[in-house]
Amino acid sequence: MMQLAQLKEALSGQGVMISFTGAFHHSIIEELGKAVRHYLESDAAAMTSMMDVFSVYIEQAQNVRQYTNAMEDDAVAHSGIVVIGKQEGRYVVSSGNLVVREDGEALVRRIDELKGLDRQALRKAYKTQMKAPRAEGSDAAGLGLIDMARKASAPLACNLDPQENGYSFFTLQVEI
Amino acid sequence: MDDLIIEATTSTPRIAFRAGTGALTIEGESYPDNTVVFFTPALEWLKAYLSGGGPAVLTLNLAYMNTSSVKFMLDILEMLEETHGAGGSARVIWNYDPENERALDMALEFQEDLTLPFEILPLD
Repeated sequence: MMQLAQLKEALSGQGVMISFTGAFHHSIIEELGKAVRHYLESDAAAMTSMMDVFSVYIEQAQNVRQYTNAMEDDAVAHSGIVVIGKQEGRYVVSSGNLVVREDGEALVRRIDELKGLDRQALRKAYKTQMKAPRAEGSDAAGLGLIDMARKASAPLACNLDPQENGYSFFTLQVEI
Repeated sequence: MDDLIIEATTSTPRIAFRAGTGALTIEGESYPDNTVVFFTPALEWLKAYLSGGGPAVLTLNLAYMNTSSVKFMLDILEMLEETHGAGGSARVIWNYDPENERALDMALEFQEDLTLPFEILPLD
């Protein structure tokens, strides 16, 4: 029998209230989004906090969807996970999926660059990126990362865990 | 030219562009699955309409936009800005829920780089 009680306990133990793993269809992102809002409303979050958590969730979920969708390898396509919860009084939105190692390294570099920026600098970076010509791939995640960094209450945290076949598992955590 | 009316969905806003009056509205939330596919008809309609020199009043009420949508909104606003710059009549009215600070922030950030008339109004 699947050990669901333990699985649930492991999630609750980390403050996870909502989680999803599987193929990230757009309809799933929409429905989970509604669940995120209900959760925040019942937690009496202020509207601004709710919109920030919701937007960070959407950016992460859509990034996972875009990346995993573009990959032909089934293992990557189904590798996505997103969780929303609370740790030490702050809302946390985290996501992860398999990435080609170089893509993961590029993401880690971008996130590192953002770490050193204060409010003003992030705002400026956002404006610059907003006006940059539209590009596919990693650039598509560019404005999203800056947006999340602006809404976060701590620098973005990420992890890259090497796997087989030139893939790594990339995890992003945003505290709001 | 025909009006462009696209009804809202959970993740896409209602778009109502009226050729007769130049009254353009976009309202709801925007996080489409494919932003290019969603916004292209609106951008093309607007380009065609503005080339006819007609006045344009864009009324917005967007509770949330993902970052991909922000880029397209910028494109739309820049088209109106260009019309204004060339002596045409184009203005923006951005309505927002006073409890949604983020909607206000977004409006202010767009407004600061544009010169066309741009009002930001809280809704009751």
